[in-house]
This record gives sequence, structure tokens and C-alpha cells, in this order.
Amino acid sequence: MTMLRIRNLGVRFGGVVALHGVSLDLNRGEILGLIGPNGAGKTTLFNCISGVVQPSEGTIHFEGRSLRFAPPHERARRGIARTFQNLQLWGSMTVLENLQVPIDAVGRRNTLSDALGLPLSHYAERSARERARAILHVLDLDGYTQRLAADLPAGIQRRVELGRALAMQPKLVLLDEPAAGLDAGETEHLAQLLHKVRERFRVSMLLVDHDMSLVMRVCDYIYVLDFGKVLSRGEPAAVRNDQNVIAAYLGEATPELAEPEPGPTVVTGLPRTDAVEVARASGRLLEVSGLAAGYGRLEVIRDIDLTVQAGEVVACIGANGAGKTTTLRAISGVVRPRAGRVVFAGRDIAGANPERISRMGLAHIPEGRGLFPRLSVEDTLRLATDTSGKPENLAAAFDVFPRLKQRRRQAVGTLSGGEQQMVAMARAILVQPRLLMIDEMSQGLAPTIVRQLFQMIDVFRSQGIAVLLVEQFVESALAVADRAYIFEHGSIAHEAAAEELRRDRSVIAGSYLGTAAAAPGDAIEVASNGNGHHKRITDPQLMEILSMRVPAEVKRALEERAEREGRSAGALALELLEGVDR
Amino acid sequence: MPGHVTRFAMAIVAFAILARLPVGLDTGFQFDAALALIWGFGILSLVVLTGYAGQVSLCQATFAGVAAYGAGMTVSSLHGGYLLGIVAGVFAATVLGVIVGLPALRLHGITLAIVTLGIALVFDKYVFQDHLFDWFTGGTGGWQVTNASIFGISVDSREHLLAAYDILLALFCLVAVLLVNLHQSGAGRRFRAIRDSELAASTMGVNLTRYKLLAFAISAGIAGLGGSFYPLIAGSVSPQPFWVFTSLQLAAIGVLMGVRYVPAAALGGMFMAVVPDVLTRYGHGTFMSRFNYDISYDWFQIAVGVLLVLQLILMPDGVWGDLRARAAAMRIRPVKKVRPA
Amino acid sequence: MSQFAAYTIIGLSLGGIFALAALGIVLIYRVTGVLNFAHGAMGMFSTFVAWQVFYGYPHPGLPQWAVTAEAIAAGLAFAVVLGLVLELAVFRWVRDRPQITKAVITIGVLLALQSAASLIWKNNQYHLPIYLAPQGATFKLAEVPIGANYIVIVVVALGLAFGLAAFLRGTAFGRSMRAVSDSSTTAALWGVRVDMVGAVSWMLGSLIAAVAGILITPFINFDTTSLTLLIVDSLAAALIGGLVSLPLTVLGGFLLGLLETYPTMWIQSLGLPRLIALLVILAVLIIRAPRGLPSVAK
Repeated sequence: MTMLRIRNLGVRFGGVVALHGVSLDLNRGEILGLIGPNGAGKTTLFNCISGVVQPSEGTIHFEGRSLRFAPPHERARRGIARTFQNLQLWGSMTVLENLQVPIDAVGRRNTLSDALGLPLSHYAERSARERARAILHVLDLDGYTQRLAADLPAGIQRRVELGRALAMQPKLVLLDEPAAGLDAGETEHLAQLLHKVRERFRVSMLLVDHDMSLVMRVCDYIYVLDFGKVLSRGEPAAVRNDQNVIAAYLGEATPELAEPEPGPTVVTGLPRTDAVEVARASGRLLEVSGLAAGYGRLEVIRDIDLTVQAGEVVACIGANGAGKTTTLRAISGVVRPRAGRVVFAGRDIAGANPERISRMGLAHIPEGRGLFPRLSVEDTLRLATDTSGKPENLAAAFDVFPRLKQRRRQAVGTLSGGEQQMVAMARAILVQPRLLMIDEMSQGLAPTIVRQLFQMIDVFRSQGIAVLLVEQFVESALAVADRAYIFEHGSIAHEAAAEELRRDRSVIAGSYLGTAAAAPGDAIEVASNGNGHHKRITDPQLMEILSMRVPAEVKRALEERAEREGRSAGALALELLEGVDR
Repeated sequence: MPGHVTRFAMAIVAFAILARLPVGLDTGFQFDAALALIWGFGILSLVVLTGYAGQVSLCQATFAGVAAYGAGMTVSSLHGGYLLGIVAGVFAATVLGVIVGLPALRLHGITLAIVTLGIALVFDKYVFQDHLFDWFTGGTGGWQVTNASIFGISVDSREHLLAAYDILLALFCLVAVLLVNLHQSGAGRRFRAIRDSELAASTMGVNLTRYKLLAFAISAGIAGLGGSFYPLIAGSVSPQPFWVFTSLQLAAIGVLMGVRYVPAAALGGMFMAVVPDVLTRYGHGTFMSRFNYDISYDWFQIAVGVLLVLQLILMPDGVWGDLRARAAAMRIRPVKKVRPA
Repeated sequence: MSQFAAYTIIGLSLGGIFALAALGIVLIYRVTGVLNFAHGAMGMFSTFVAWQVFYGYPHPGLPQWAVTAEAIAAGLAFAVVLGLVLELAVFRWVRDRPQITKAVITIGVLLALQSAASLIWKNNQYHLPIYLAPQGATFKLAEVPIGANYIVIVVVALGLAFGLAAFLRGTAFGRSMRAVSDSSTTAALWGVRVDMVGAVSWMLGSLIAAVAGILITPFINFDTTSLTLLIVDSLAAALIGGLVSLPLTVLGGFLLGLLETYPTMWIQSLGLPRLIALLVILAVLIIRAPRGLPSVAK
């Protein structure tokens, strides 16, 4: 029997089509999986079902009744509960109270008798508490009942959200990425838990997750969304072998993605000096010793010792959450160092504010490129020359990136990711810093652009600009770098010449892949390019595939998830591929 | 966590102690004591609205004013008993509260603050001071209230001021206990759920429209309950006590004392009523009277402004919240995060 | 017809003042994230400083225009210092606090400034205005005589608005201010002196508020509270621009001025203009508010 029936659903935000003609049926007692790359419209569909977004067309029926005019709380009372991808627990309330709210909501309570503390309310209160405790017990959360929700780690909060949804006595639970932030063991546990929940609470579920191993294991039936449309549907086994799905997930170097770029970069008009020699002779540019930093109570990095010679390109590599980004932020002053020294060009800059450090010739391009969305390209570049005191001549930047010249009047926020990174790099060209720190330069960019950007780093080196690079995609980074530091758990585990690391991959495989499913050197089968040709490749090459062949959205999704889960994107990718291949 | 009985017992003890406080003092201080409770109700109304439900309002004095005029009109113009006046005043304030709550269904944070400030100003300039509304405000002279009685107890601004104080105090203690109960009960949790995440609240079955309006209604009703006593203890009503700056002061003192805590309301009310009077009594002849004769109001308001700025920089949870946290930290048992009560 | 034209001019000049005050509010809000409820109070205090210089001391032998210039200079200089002091003493310390907390702090500033002014200059009493143009001077525009002081307001308001726009678009410092208003963390990484930009926007905002305050003195019963409470109309104008857009804010100011003026052709009332302002705010907010819940509609 169809419990949830969606027909021809469409959602538009302004000009953006988030969903288009989506139809979906969910039967009683079923666990339905909803997968697809980020931005495919999964969460929007959830929002439509739970009533926080109004669809522009189409119908949703729940148990035969239309949900068209039902506000969110009404849908909740009819039996639709949900969890949230970005946790939405009530932080100032205890876990127990978090569960009591939906329990009360179902069993109508009286405000006046609550305030007077009448026996009626007393009994209701006690029974609500008992029910909440029972649910918490099933979810293994007994130890947390009296803790404030905001103080709990994210993994526990996700489970509390599930508990809160179940407290509604729902018929259908919408689970938005319940496995985000869980490691492989915990995900396994979650899969068992979901089956248990279905039996104990007799609920149907609609599950969105990026973790294919979870979705494939738990779900009875799967819908695949891509670009707001249903791409495919079927039993897990069928979906797993669907070529369209594999293509959507792994991507192929489609013509649109490989943006046509006029020839290789020809750098003209730049002061190609013998700066390299001069710079190298002057010795150590950046010297970090014993650096520690963190956020709030959390100490993220400690005992970081790191040097960068003038004119040298140094890569920082390591799993996500290993402390690379925090190290850069502590150096540039965005995060205040808690201990240690940061000596730049002979002066201790630890604890100085970022403006001063920037003006000393240390440019930091943070993750997300650090631009001003409302400023035009030209104004942005002018700002760069203003603050560095360099002459206001934007020609050098426009020579390297002619496309920016075409778009000079456009607001930076409206540019594509690649063009934005060009703007960030153009700033370095104009400012000519002594040290350029770039965080995740290739994040979410098409391969051709990434190649061009890496070429730029070579150019910087030739101009005597030292570069400190944090890069998820090791192979490309090592190809351009002189030396590399390998980060593990907030400190530096290894330091070596890039050449050496490229020859001996075991060093990286060991620390970078961390708990990757496949042991280093293992060969796995990969369906590449969605053509059905299977290739056998070894895992270090996998990184290259990830860095070059995957569409930007997928890569960003992968990285976001890796960030959330504190794992390397590589390890994640391996699991994903395994899931598809199995 | 004390149970209901304990809370009522604590309220009765508090009543017994506080009722003795103004006995034997001169009429001026007795008036201050009663006024302290009226403004105490004003801040209590913010505890529900802002502290519990997370909604911003800069027009609490307007609610009190509407109730004061409503009570005055019922007594003077319709010749009802004072009890009826109070009921009418609270009713009028509650209705206004629901109306003011309507924009809050769509607005949040600073925009809601701007709108409610606008409402306070409109009522100050348009309703309370415009001849169009003379039927409600009693014209420039306002309503005069003399020889009123509640439940057969004579209460008025001259001879029986203490009786008014006692009734107000009893009501205040009662409302305070009810609010603490509310905080711990289902409805209170729903308010707090709206404060912490409206998105989660609505999808977990909390009717946002209903509970936001309910918060505004309760809040306006409480402010109105205090306001409806104003004609009784002052003998008449005028626009001045309920103008826009009083609303701003109520918000400022509420935040200053700790807007999430019920006892902070008593503290704030006392501060708001007594300090200006003390300044007037003892400030003359000092540096304070060098600029202006009417020193009470201005020096007081400067103090409120400066203290508010300092408090928000130094102790964000308000005076009461901060004291509680410090007291909790001084006890040796493991520190639990302080929760509002 | 001529009555309509006269009211249009009055409305435009009133609107010019709202537009100016709103410009300062939007400027400070965008650069520092503080929604300044004390904006009217700051303008009021500076206006009274100018008034004090104008009427408080004898100016032997000086012509009228020189006295006016002196008074205005004093008022504006005070405004700049006031803005700087507030930024350095208060708002620099609460930069990372939630927006609503910062707004409440400005309410504290409002109360303190209003009372301080009322102590010094007494409350609720009529103060003589400062005229920029001679009081009786009129222009004739299409047969309708227009008071020169009205023209001055419209010209100054438009001039300052365009001047500010040119400053933000065309100068290096203006670019820094726009950069900080987009993201102050990123701006710091670019070497923009964020503290200085914040201080300048407070000084500039305060200066514009003072200009608005001084210009309005001939048209209202000006005292410490009425000028302080101009904040409501100015915030209404600022909300029309969504607290973001400067051109829309200026337009909103003029629109609101006209809306508040025309009804006074028929009704004399203290509160009616404010009621209209409030209704305009509500209408604009309800039209602008995104559908659905705020945390979803990002």
C-alpha cells in the first residue's frame, strides 16, 4: 500500500530549478533510499515533504490525504517526522526535554494546567518522561538524558535527533544524512540500528545519505536524483549496476566541464627576475617552531615545526582534520596561536593581527578562496594593489588570465569557481608577496583549470615567491612542490623531499589514507568514465582520478563529507567505489 | 529541581518577607514599592517573551499603558468596579499583544525590534496623546481614580497604598511561580524549542503560529496586569509613564538583570522604581543637580544606559544569571551548566 | 495645486532627512554589523552642540553666515569624535557577539545620550532652529514660492548620497569599506585595516546623522526626544533598502517623507506620520520576507 505518493513535484527558487517532475512512491514499512550527488535536490524534497518549503507544482499525498495546505506541525502530527543534515537540536535543553517536546505535541497538553501544575499535567509529564527514556534506551543513549544537547558530540546529536523524530510516534521518518560524521564501524552500527528501529517502532523511512554502503545495505528500494530529476530507480542491486548512476556519481570528463582554455599559459609582462637566486640566498623566510592553536576548548594543532625557504614550494598533505588548514590560519593570524613562534622574514609574528602580517608580504588564500562576493573583479584587484602599496596596474593580471579582463565589471560572487580562484591568484600576481599560502586550491574545480593553476605555482616559484600549499590531491601537489610535510592528528609526522615521496608512495599511503578500506598497493576495479570499461588501478592512482576526472559537484560533495567525517577524501572514495562495485 | 509545592512555599515565604518591607516607610517609598511591582510585571512579561520564547519586543510599556487606560476608562467612564477595570485592562493588553504578535510570525531579531519600537512610538504619540482617542485616555487630564476597592478591601493612592501593594505583591508572587512552572512544563519546552530552532520546532509538531501568539498574549497580559494597577496607586493616568522610553528602559533593565530569569524581574522592577526616587531625594545639592532640577529621571536613565553597555560587554547573561553562575561555580560539586529557571 | 506642490516640497525635504539618517544607519550596519538604534540620539546630541555654539555664546562682530558656519563645524566635529569614541570604547569590544546583542547595546547608548542631552539642554521645550539659508528667502519654481531652506535640505541630502556613493565606488578607502562589509575576516587577510575601516564608518555615519539633525531643526519642534525618535522613520527608510542597498535607502527616505506629509494636508496629528511609517515598514517587510522558515530560505 502506498503511504507517501508524490506526483510531478517541482520547486523553483527564483530562477534555479531545484526539483522538476519528481514522482515517488513509498510503501508502508519500506525503507526507501534517496541518493544523488550534492545539489541534486534531496534535501529540497525532504523540505517539501515536511512542509518547510512550498513546491511550485505537483502534489504530495500521505495516507491518501493531500498535504497541500498542511503546515509543518500538522504534517508532524499526521505522522511525518524528520532529522536534519545540519543538526537542529534545541541546544539549551536537555536530551530528555528534546524528546519530550514532540511527545507533548502529539498528546495535546494544556498550557494553563501546565502552569498551575495540576495533577493532570503531572501524569502527562511523567508518562512523557517514561516514553522518552524508553526511546533513549533503545537508541543506547541512557547515559545522556540529563546532558544539554549543545554539549554533545555531533555523532551523539545525530542519534538524539533520530530519537526525537521517533518520539513523535511517526509513521514515516525522513532521515537526512544520518551517517554523516560517523566512521565505518559506527555506520555499520547505524545500519543495524535502523533495522531495529523499523521493527520496534513500525515506521517507514526515507533515507538520504552519501554513504553508499549504508544505503545499499539498509534500503529496500532506491531512487536516484540528479539535477532535480529522478535519474533512476530500482532495487539496490539494479541501481548499483545502472550505468547512468555510475556516471552521475563518478562523473566523466564531459565537454562542458573541460572548459575550453585558450592554449597554455603564457606569462608575459611579469618581472621575470633573477629573484630566485636572490631569494634563496637570503635563506629561511618562514620558521615555525612549537606552534599550537585551536578553537574553544579544542586544541587542533600542537608542536608544529615547519620552515619555508625563500622561493621554495612546500606542500602540506595529510587527511582532512589533520590540522593543515589550522596551521595556515595560525600563521596568517586568523587564529591566535596558543604557543610557539612564527618567524617571518626575521620578525616574530605570532599573535600579530592578520592585517599586519598580510602587509609584511604574506598572502593567504583560504579555503573558499577568500574573496568579496559583491565587489567587481576590477575592484577586487584594485583592492589588492591598494593594500600592498604596489602600483595600480592590473595589466599583468589580465595578461595571465584574459578571461578576467572580459569579466572585469562582473561581481566576483557571480563568477564560476574556477574564475574565482583565478581572481585569488591574480591578487598574488599583482601583490608579489614573499610567501603565498594557498589552502585547497583545486577544491571543486574542473581538471583543466586545476592544471592551469598548478602551472601558476611554477611561475610563482620562478619569480622568487615562496609557496606553502595545502592540497587534498597529493599527486598534483607533489608534482609541483620541492618539499612536503605530512600531517597526522594535529602534528607533523613526516618531512621529505617531494621527489622522494613521489618515488616511495608507501609513506603517503600509510599516513594519508589512514584507515582506508583497501590496504596500500591493493588493486581494485574501477569503472572509469562511465563507458563500462573496467580498469585495474592501484590506489595512489586513484587519487589522481579523483583529482582530475570527477565533476566539481561530486568532488565537492566528497570533500565536504570527508571534512564532516574527519576522514580523507581518498579513503571515502575507495569505499564509495567498493559500494558501486560490489 | 524543586517541585510545585516547594515553589509555592517559597513564593509564600517571599510574599511574607516582602510584604513587611515598606511598612513604616513614608508614602513616597510605599509608592515606589508598588511601582517596583508594576515595572516588575513589565520585566516579567519580557522573561516569557524574550527569555522563554526568544521573541524581541520594544513595546512592553505600551501593553502596560493600554491596560492602565483600559482600567481607568472602565472605572471612571463606565463606572465599573476596579476589579472589572483590571480585567478589562488585562484583556485590552492581551488583545493588543496578539495583534503585535502577528508580524512576529514572519519577522525575527532586529527587524522585529524595529517594528515593535514603531508600535511603541505610534501608541505613545498617536493613541495616548491624540484627541481622537480622548474616549480612551480621558483627554489631557487622564482618568482620576479615587476610593476604589477590590474584594471589599479599600485601596487607593493616598490612605490605602499598602493594601494595593499587598495585592500587587501577591499577584506578582503567584505569576512568578506560574512562570517557573511554565518553564519546566510542556508549554515552556515548546517556547524554548521555538527560541532554539524554529525549524525543528515546527517539524516536531509545535504550532508556531499558536505558540508565538500565545507567548505575545501571555506577555502582554502580564505587562497589562501590572499596568492596570497604575491608576490605582498613582491616582490618575498620564501618557508619560508609558511612553516609548519606558519600553526601551524595560527592555534594557530586563537584559541588564538577566532576561531569562524570573527573579531578575523583581530585581529590575525594584531598580527601576526606587533608584530614581533615591536620586531625587538625596541627589539635590550634589553635583547631580548642577545641570537640571529634574535629576531623577535623567541620571537614572544615563545609569541604565551605561550599565547595560557594561553588562553586555562583561556579563552577557545578565546580573542575575551571572550571580547564579558564580554561585554555582563556588560550590564544590561538579559544575553543571546553569539552566534558566 | 499650489498647495499640493508646497506639500511635495515639504515632503521631499523631510524625506531628504530620513534618507540621510538612513544612509548612516545602513553604512554602519553593513560595515560593522551593528544596527544602530542610537543613530537618532547621536545626531541629536551633535545638533545640540551646534545649537549651543549658535545661540549659547555671543559672537560679537561676526556676520550671520560665519556664526552659522562655526556652529555647524562644531556640531560636525563633535559628531565625528562621538562616533570614534563609541567605536573605540564600546563596539570594538563586542565585534563577535550576536547581532541582536549589539543592537541592544545601542539601545543603552540611546538611553544614555538622550538623558545626558536632556540634563544639559532640558527636555520638552522649544529650541530655536538653525537656518542654513535666510529664513524668509524663497525661490519661485513654476509660480510656486518655495522656502530656500527646503531646497537646501534636498540638495544637501542628494549631494551627500551621491558623494558617499562616489566615495565608496571610486576611492581606495571606499573599496576597503565595501570589502569589510562583505567579509571582515577576509578583508583582514587582504591587509585591509579593519579596525580603521570600522572607526571611519562610525565617524562617517555619525557625521551624516549630525547633518540630518541640523537640517531638520527649522521644521520640527525640536527637542532631545523628538530628534532621538527620528530613528523610527530612518529605520523604516533603511528597511525599504533592505539594510543593504544605498540607492533604495535614499529612495525609501524620500518616499516615506512624501507619504508622511501628504496626509497632513487634511489631518493635523502628532502620531499619524509615525503610523504611516510603521505601516510602510510592515508592508515592506511582509513583501520582502522570504517564504517559509528563515533557516531554510537561505
